[in-house]
This record gives sequence, C-alpha cells and structure tokens, in this order.
Amino acid sequence: MTDLIKGVEKASRAIKIEVSTIEQETLARELDDFLQWLEPMLELNTNQAEQVLFSHGAVNVLREDCPRQSNLAELQEAAPNFAGGFYLVPPIIE
Amino acid sequence: MELRKNSVRQAAEAVCNGEPTAHDLIEITLKNCSVINEGLNIFNHIAGIDAIEQAKAVDRRIENGEQLPLAGLPVVIKDDICYGVLPTGFGSSAFKDFISPHTATAVERVMDAGAIVVGKTNLDDMGMGSTTRSSPNGPTINPWVPGYTAGSAGAAAIAAGIGMFALESDSGGSLRQGASHCGVIGLRPTMGSVSRFGLNAFSSSFGQVGITAFSSENIISVLKIIAGYDPRDSATSVCTDRLDEQNSTPALKDIKIGYPVELIDYLEPSMRVIVEKTRDEYIAQGLKFENVELSLFREALQAYYVIAAAEASSNQARFDGIRFGKTGEADNLEELYHKNRSSTLGREARRRSIFGTFLLSKGNYDLYYRQALKVWSMVRQEFANAFKRCDMILLPAVKKLPASLNGDKGFLDDWSEDLFCAPVSMSGLPSLTLPAGQIEQFPVGIQLVGSPFSEELLTQVGSRVVR
Repeated sequence: MTDLIKGVEKASRAIKIEVSTIEQETLARELDDFLQWLEPMLELNTNQAEQVLFSHGAVNVLREDCPRQSNLAELQEAAPNFAGGFYLVPPIIE
Repeated sequence: MELRKNSVRQAAEAVCNGEPTAHDLIEITLKNCSVINEGLNIFNHIAGIDAIEQAKAVDRRIENGEQLPLAGLPVVIKDDICYGVLPTGFGSSAFKDFISPHTATAVERVMDAGAIVVGKTNLDDMGMGSTTRSSPNGPTINPWVPGYTAGSAGAAAIAAGIGMFALESDSGGSLRQGASHCGVIGLRPTMGSVSRFGLNAFSSSFGQVGITAFSSENIISVLKIIAGYDPRDSATSVCTDRLDEQNSTPALKDIKIGYPVELIDYLEPSMRVIVEKTRDEYIAQGLKFENVELSLFREALQAYYVIAAAEASSNQARFDGIRFGKTGEADNLEELYHKNRSSTLGREARRRSIFGTFLLSKGNYDLYYRQALKVWSMVRQEFANAFKRCDMILLPAVKKLPASLNGDKGFLDDWSEDLFCAPVSMSGLPSLTLPAGQIEQFPVGIQLVGSPFSEELLTQVGSRVVR
C-alpha cells in the first residue's frame, strides 16, 4: 500500500492536483481495488494481437493547409485574466 | 402541439405552416422546461430569452421561404457540448458561467436546419459516469421512478416530453443507458460519422455525439442532418455519404441477427427474460437469429477503463484556469495551477486523472496501457468475426436497473454498469438502444449493434419491436 500511496502522490503532483493525506490514502486503496479488478485483462493472452490506436482503424488524415479566419479576440475574451496581448499569470522569475 | 405524437417531419411542417409558429412552440416549451425541471433536475441552464430570439429568427426564415427540416423544433444539449450562447459547464462548478467561444458542429447543423436550443442538460463530473450522481448540481431524477437516477438528463427530457430530440455525448454508454432507464430511443452513431468538434470528450478514442429521441424515425432524420465530414474533426474524413448508401434496405426475412448466447446468460434472470422476449418477437416477425461469440466483454470493459483514464489524464491538462475557466489568486504559477485544477476537477475526474497518470507512468505503461490497446484490437476482431455471420447483434443495454439516488455503490460497481456498452464503444460500431420491456415500474432497453454506417437499417429493424 505504501508504494501505491507514493504512486498517487507522484501522479497528483505530475498533473498538478492538490490531494490531502486522507484523500491520498483513499485513492491508494481505490487504486489497489482497481488494479486487482484489472487482473483478468492482464491474464489475457495478447501475444498475437496488435495495438489499436483508433476504433475504426483510421490513419492520421491531413487536410489541406489553407488559412482560415480565426476568432482570436473571442478566444482571448474567454481567459479570466488577459491584457495587452498576454495571458496574465503570477511572476515565474523570482 | 404534443411533441411525442409527431415525427420531426410532421412537426417541422406544422411550424412552417404557422401551426404553431416557432415562437409559440418555444414559449410553451420553455414554460414546460421550468416546471418539469423543478421535479427532475434535468437542466443546468434553460435558454430563456435566447431561445425566444432564435424562434423569432426561425419564423423570419420561414417567412422568407426557407425550407427548414427542423423548423422551430426544441432541442436539448448535454452540457459537455459547446454552444456559444449559453454557459457550458462540463459538469464542473468552476465552469458554471463559462461561455464557450465555439459552438459544436452538431449544434450548428441542427440550428441551421431550424432547431432551437432550449437548454443544456445535467451530466456527471466532467462527463465521467452514467448516472449523473457525480454532477455538482446533483443527480437527474428518473421521470418514471422518482428516487432513482435517469442515467442521462437528455433521456429524461425526452421522456418528459420537453424536447423533440437531444444531442448527447456517449463514451462508455451514458446516452444508451439513459435511454434504457428512461424508456426512450438513443443512438450512438458510427465513430467518424458525426463531428466531435465542440464536444469536451474526456476520452478522445471513445467520446461521440449521439441522439436521443422518442422514435427511430426522428433519430434518423436528425442523424442525416448532423452527420458528415467536418474539417474541424479530421476523424470524420472517413465518412462521406455512406449513410445514404444504406437506403436499399434488405427485406426483414433476409436479416440475420447475432445473438451472443453466453453473454446473455450472464444477465440477471429478469433482464435476461427481456432480451429473450425481444429475440422471440423478432423471430415471430420472420427475422433469423444466429448464435455469435462475444467472449471478451469483461476484459474489454477493463481495457476501456485503462484507456479512458489514461486519455482523461492527458485531455484534462487543458483545464488550468489560464486560457479559460475560473482562476484564483496565487503567489506563483505552480500554486495557481494547483489551485485552479483542484477546484475544477471533482472527485470522479480526479480519480480517473490520477489513475490514468499512474497507468501511463514508467513501469506501468507496458503492463496496463499497452495490454489494454492489444485487448482493444482483439475486441474489434471479435466483433468483425461476429459480423461475418450476421447483419446486426442484439445486446442488453444495461446490466442492472437504475441506481438509487441515495445509494453509494462504490466506483467499481458504477464502472461495471458499462459492461454491455463500453465494449461497443471500443468497436466504433453504431448502436441503437430501444425500449424493450419493463421490470416492475422500470423501463428496460436493449441495444442493436450494426455494421459501420448501418444506422438506417438499425432504426428500421429496431422500430419493429419498440414498446
């Protein structure tokens, strides 16, 4: 369980979500249950199977590269803090 | 005009003839929305004045001689599908008042055809779930059985007679299970047939826009309007006009339905009786059945949750509160990210994001994620083999009756409810959920799964046994 608590702690740090010690323990228990639930899938013999990356077997399709009108101003308006052409965030240099 | 008594075509024709006008129809619909919402908690937002303005615009288009196949018809939209006028909440309290700069392609297309958005419907935390119990606004109540969940709020709206149709997302089966629990019809279309532009899909591989309505005829009418290539979703490029190719429907006696007998034996007896009765009715109408093998559903469900969680962990990186959404105060950027993301993602979204990140981490990637991708290919192959012997497959839509509003069964029990839907999502095939019977007062549906772009055939066969 200690390893799973560490795993939860590392994962939450990587994706920048605050997790309290109590929540960490709960999530680690749930993760343990989840990993046990996955066991039948792990036991399946997949030696002959290829990996799939999309449900209908499509390959990456490129469209013609042509300019389109964008609504940049509307996108910027959606930002909670935007001014002078910049998204405002706290200083990143001490 | 009572919406459920008319087809889309009849209702649109009536509006085009001014009987009633779009304005009158929408005014009445909005009143009904407010009244019904008080009891069922269907809507996150009701359109109000915006819908009235849309209706007036549609009436002007009709006066100008436009032929609108969805003239004035009210549509409800799940709140993870963007509409640039009403707030789009994604099932997160942080986006309660967020107005998206985009409108989803499917929404644009129905509006171009004259439909009017009357509201945005409730959903689970970031669209993750098939009960609405993890919604920050509380669960949507089943219109047939108060005290139980509706599964999907769009299905509840249609069952309550509010909208002519609903546009909803479906990843692991929320649209289909909602249709089953509410006694209406739901279509998850072929992957690639409907653009996902403007849909907040937590899982890019499985998220899809579908339709819920009161009749198969209405489903296909709307599908023909929303389906087709969209340059803003390159996955639609495989779909040109293949839906129209299905117009030459074979005679019913020539249709063979696949029956996964071992999978159906796995059902609880009362559920199994409903599937067996449906099969018997089809046989009585001259359709043939063929036993097919679908033996990987349990492992497919597990693979689905590995892949969906992994994709959720990546897709949710966009919710940082800097480019859109709600932001807080912080002394440094790292703290800002943590604060914003922690207030945006609810319990279910946090669980899946953390699990997904764990599964993708060094040492776990090959064991879990790569294995899940291989199981995915085996599931697709199993469906392909089954379709060599039949034209469509009969499946249950749900494992159990809807969840109680108060009960907390645990997350794995909730996830297990997707047993009959998630593997179909992995196949990319179209699936139509139809009312098939009742257990006590609960409606129960079945799924008909077809070959790619066979939606028209599915609705024609499906309509033979709808109750």
